[in-house]
Amino acid sequence: MDLKFSKEDLEFREEVRTWISENRPREQRPMDRPAMREYDLAWQKTQANAGWAGISWPKEYGGRGASLIQALIWFEEYGGAGLPGIDACFVGLNHAGPTLMTRSSEEQKSFHLPKILSGDVVWCQGFSEPEAGSDLASLKARAVIDGDELVVTGQKIWTSFADVADWQELLVRTDPDVPKHKGITWVICDMKLPGIEIRPIETMDEEHEFCEVFYNEVRIPLKNVVGDINDGWSVAMSTLAFERGTAFTVNQVRLAKTVEEIIKVAKHRLGPDGLRPAIQDDEIARRLARARADVAAMRAMTYRTISRSLRDGTPGPEGSIIKLFYSDLMQSVYRLAFEIIGADGLEFLNRWMPGGWSGSYLYSPAGSLGGGTSEIQRNIIGERVLGLPR
Amino acid sequence: MDLLTSSEQDEIVSVVAGFLRAELPINDLRVNRYDHASFTPGMWKKCGELGWFGLGLSEELGGVGYGLAEEALLFRELGRHLAPGPFVGSVLGARVAALAGQTELAASIVAGTCSVGMAEARGSASVASTGISGTFDLLDGAGATHVLIHSDSALALIECAALGDVPLLPCIDPGTRLTRVELFGVVPMAFIAEGSDVVLRRGTVLVAALLCGIAEATRDLSSEYAKVREQFGKPIGVNQAIKHACANMAIRAEAATSQLFFAALAADENRGDAILQTSSARVVATNAAIENATATIQVHGGMGYTFEHDANLYFKRARILERTLGDSRRHLDLLLHAPAAQ
Repeated sequence: MDLKFSKEDLEFREEVRTWISENRPREQRPMDRPAMREYDLAWQKTQANAGWAGISWPKEYGGRGASLIQALIWFEEYGGAGLPGIDACFVGLNHAGPTLMTRSSEEQKSFHLPKILSGDVVWCQGFSEPEAGSDLASLKARAVIDGDELVVTGQKIWTSFADVADWQELLVRTDPDVPKHKGITWVICDMKLPGIEIRPIETMDEEHEFCEVFYNEVRIPLKNVVGDINDGWSVAMSTLAFERGTAFTVNQVRLAKTVEEIIKVAKHRLGPDGLRPAIQDDEIARRLARARADVAAMRAMTYRTISRSLRDGTPGPEGSIIKLFYSDLMQSVYRLAFEIIGADGLEFLNRWMPGGWSGSYLYSPAGSLGGGTSEIQRNIIGERVLGLPR
Repeated sequence: MDLLTSSEQDEIVSVVAGFLRAELPINDLRVNRYDHASFTPGMWKKCGELGWFGLGLSEELGGVGYGLAEEALLFRELGRHLAPGPFVGSVLGARVAALAGQTELAASIVAGTCSVGMAEARGSASVASTGISGTFDLLDGAGATHVLIHSDSALALIECAALGDVPLLPCIDPGTRLTRVELFGVVPMAFIAEGSDVVLRRGTVLVAALLCGIAEATRDLSSEYAKVREQFGKPIGVNQAIKHACANMAIRAEAATSQLFFAALAADENRGDAILQTSSARVVATNAAIENATATIQVHGGMGYTFEHDANLYFKRARILERTLGDSRRHLDLLLHAPAAQ
C-alpha cells in the first residue's frame, strides 16, 4: 500500500500540465449543434497532433499507449484543468474504437481507427430502443440479409450526437427465432445512408444531446458487420472494461472542483435565514462537509479500482460501485448547490454557464439513468460482488 | 500508487483474525456483560505480546515500527470481531507517553501491563499540563490503569487510581464500560500539546478502521443471510428490496475502506491534506458502520432484533465509536475548514 507516484510519473504529470495549459481551447464550447461538433473535433485534432489522443489506445493503433497510472494522471489533469469533455468523440474513442480494435477485420481497423483518433469523424451508439432499455438484449430493430447487404428497419433511442454523427455502432436483430442474446449483429452504419431519419429529443435541462433514430429499409453493406452475424452481443460486451477503472476519473475531479466552488458560493451568499452567510447554516455546513468527504472517498475508490486493474488486469465488478457512488454523490452535490442559491435557482441558466446551478440540478437525474440505471447497477453489485441469487 | 494490501499485510490480517476468532469470540461479550471490565489483564497482556499496542510505534520509541496502514488493518479486524477493550486509548496512550518522555509508562502500555481508556469531554473542559478539569465520559476506563484525555490541541494521560472508585453506568454496548468523572485540576502523568494534532489524526484513522470493520462485517452478515434464508420458496436475496439493501452496504463499505487506506497513508506522510483525508475517513466510515448495522437488523428480520444475534452488537458499538475521540460534528467541522485535497 502506498500513495506515491514514481519520478517518471511525476515528470509525466508535469508534461501533461504544461501541454494542457499551453494548448487548452480558449473559446467557450458553442451551443449550436454543428458548431459544437466542429469544436469537439478541433479539440480532438489538437490532442492528436500532439500525440495525446487515445491516451489508453495501444500504440499499434496510433494511441498514446500510456500505462494505467499515466492514464489516471492524464484524466486527473484533464478534469482538474476544467477542459471541455470529449463529448462528440466519446463513443468513437471509448467504445466503438476499442470494439473495432478487439473484434473487427484489418480492413475495418485501418479504415476507421485513424479517423477516430485524428478527430475527423463522430461516432454514435445505436443500442437502446424504446422497448429495450435495461433489457438491451430484447432489442428488435430488424435486419434481413439481402444479397451483400443488411436491410435494417426499426428504431433506436437515446443516441447522443446522432444528429451530427458520421458513423454508428449499431445493434440489430438478425435472427428473431433464437434466444434473445444469440440473434444480434453488431454493424457499422453510415449515418448518411438513405432511409435514416433523426429526431432530436429535448431533455428536462433544455439540452438536445439525445436523438431518436428511425431506420426505414436502410441498406448497409454486409462487409460492415463486425464479428460474425448473430454474434453481436459478445462484440458489444467485449470492451466494457476498456477503461480499466479510470472511466470516472474526470468526473470525480470535476466534482471535487465543483464542491470547492460551492463552498466558495456558500461563503459569499446569504444563507436561508437571510442574516448570515450560507456556510454558517448548520445543515448546509454539514452537507458541504459530507460532500467533501464523499469526494475524497470517490478518489480513493478510483485509486483502489485502478490498483486492482494493475494487479489482476481487470477492475473487477467493484467498478460498478464507483458508478453508483458517483451518480448519488453528483446528484446530492447539485441538489445542495441549488438549495444554497435559494430563490436564484428559479432562474434557468444552463449548466455550461457560470453559476449555472439550476441547469446542473436539472441535468443531475441523468446520472442514475444513463449507462445502466442505478437499479441495474445495484443488481450487478448484489449478484457479482456479493454473490446473491438472481 | 497502490491501495491494496500487500501479501505481508494480508499475513498480519490473517494472524490477527485467527487470534480474535480463537481467543475473543463475539459471544463472550454477552457472557461477560456484567463484569466490571470489558477485558481482563491476562488477555491484555497477550495482545501486548502480539505487539498490537506498539505496532505503528517506531522502534526507537519501543514499538514494532510498522506504518499507520498496518495499524489500520489491525483495527479493522478488531472492529470486525467487536474485540472488547480500550485499544484506541492504549495505542495512542503509548505514543503520548513516549512523546512526553515517559518511556517506562510507554513500555508498560506497549507490553499490555498498562491499559488506557478514553475520556470524552462533556461540554467544555480544560486540558493543560498544569491540570485537567471538566466532566468526562470514560469509555473502558473501568479496568484500565490510565485514561487518555484529549482536546483539540492537547493529549494527556492520567492515572485511574487518582479517580477513586467510580461506579459503572449502564452502557448501550455490552462490550464497552461507561463511567463518568468530574476532574478538578488533576495533574497529568504525561502531556503533549505540540504534535498532538498528528497523534489525534492517527487516532481518527484508527477509529475509522474500527468502524470500517463493522461496515464490512455487517455487509457480509447480511449478504450471507440473504443467500440462505428462504421465504416463499426462494432465498430472500432474489428480491431487489433485499438485494439493493445489500448492494448499498457494499457501496458504503467500499467507500469507507478505500478512504481508510488513503487516509492512513496520507496521515503517515503528514501530507498537507491530512486533516481532510483523515476526517473524511472518519465521516465516511461512521456513516457506513451505522447505516450498514441498521440495515443488517432489518435484513435479518425478527432475529436481527434479538440480543442473541450479533447485529445489535455491531449497531451499538458503531454508536460508541461515533463518539470516540470526538464526535461526527467535530469531524464535519474540521473537514469543512481543512485545506483542500492535494
